[in-house]
Amino acid sequence: MDNIASYENWKNCFSEIGPGLLLFARQWTRSAADAEDIVQEAFVKFWRRNHQISNRALLYATVRSIALDFIRRDKRRARREATVFAEADPTIEPQFEWEDEAQSALAAAVSCLPHDQREVLVLKIWNELTFSEIAGALGISQNTAASRYRYALAHLKKSLQPQ
Amino acid sequence: MNDFSELENDLKALRPARPSPVLFERIEEAMTEDRKVSAASNSRWTWRRFTEWSRSRASDIEGRLGRAKEGRPLTPFRLGIGLAAAAAAVALLIARINTDQTRNEDTEIAQDSPSSQTKPILPSFSGRSGVDESMSSNKFVPSGATQVVYNTRNEGLQFADGSKQPLRRLRYQTQQTWQWRNASTGASLRVSYPSEEVVLIPVSGQ
Repeated sequence: MDNIASYENWKNCFSEIGPGLLLFARQWTRSAADAEDIVQEAFVKFWRRNHQISNRALLYATVRSIALDFIRRDKRRARREATVFAEADPTIEPQFEWEDEAQSALAAAVSCLPHDQREVLVLKIWNELTFSEIAGALGISQNTAASRYRYALAHLKKSLQPQ
Repeated sequence: MNDFSELENDLKALRPARPSPVLFERIEEAMTEDRKVSAASNSRWTWRRFTEWSRSRASDIEGRLGRAKEGRPLTPFRLGIGLAAAAAAVALLIARINTDQTRNEDTEIAQDSPSSQTKPILPSFSGRSGVDESMSSNKFVPSGATQVVYNTRNEGLQFADGSKQPLRRLRYQTQQTWQWRNASTGASLRVSYPSEEVVLIPVSGQ
């Protein structure tokens, strides 16, 4: 398997994983610009250290680590984000490109998920990580990752049912 | 099939927004700068890569330092550091020997028995005339060094005096650790201190 450093056209590699990485980074930021800063730093750091691109758990763990550092840099931001995460404020929305109202409602429902469930869902659905890789990236057990995923789906299903 | 397969398919159909084209350019620029830094200061960059490598792979600092000593070629930079470290170690050793010698002499005056509770650091040392001899056999030799970069800050572009080319100012905050070991006694000496380094990298307008 190629690693990023030896990948001749790294743009192809980034085109594949970039949207998912960006969506994952958006879990900790309010703006796409901040998320792009995090992804850039993580990707370059990963490339600089010659890590294998197949080690996706490490790549996403790097994004998460840099995102948390990013939050800590600004104490006011950290307080604000902590409050937001605790209350699962729906204003932090993952960015999606929806085509109809049904997709728009689905995107809104995803943004209303508790943070720990949304984190697992983003890694599983849009980054196609296995539960083992998710567990490695988030520092949780595989069973916890799987149960959070199931809770997230159940939560979504319930919220999308007609009242 | 599970109860959520339809929902999973709907979720997969929802496409995350693509990164802006600017992000591609920014990453490419960062990678290019990284290569330039590597070429401009090869020894320093090699040193950083070495510390990162050792930090990521070794859980035990002793083993890490030992591997670094065995596995790395001796460059003029490291030779200079090694000589400086050896000189510092010798100076500390002489200071310690003098202190112990004074203590031993005091003990001999106060007690009948020459045995003292404060044993000298070098067992073979037996008198003032033996200093050179003991140092030649029992000396501290550099056994390793690490430089851990724990923070890197990009302080933006600036123009140096008289220069038309912009320079990017990077600030590295590091923790440096030097270690010496006496193979005869097994004693080791470790000095650790924080340091800060500012690097100016020319930015080309390509």
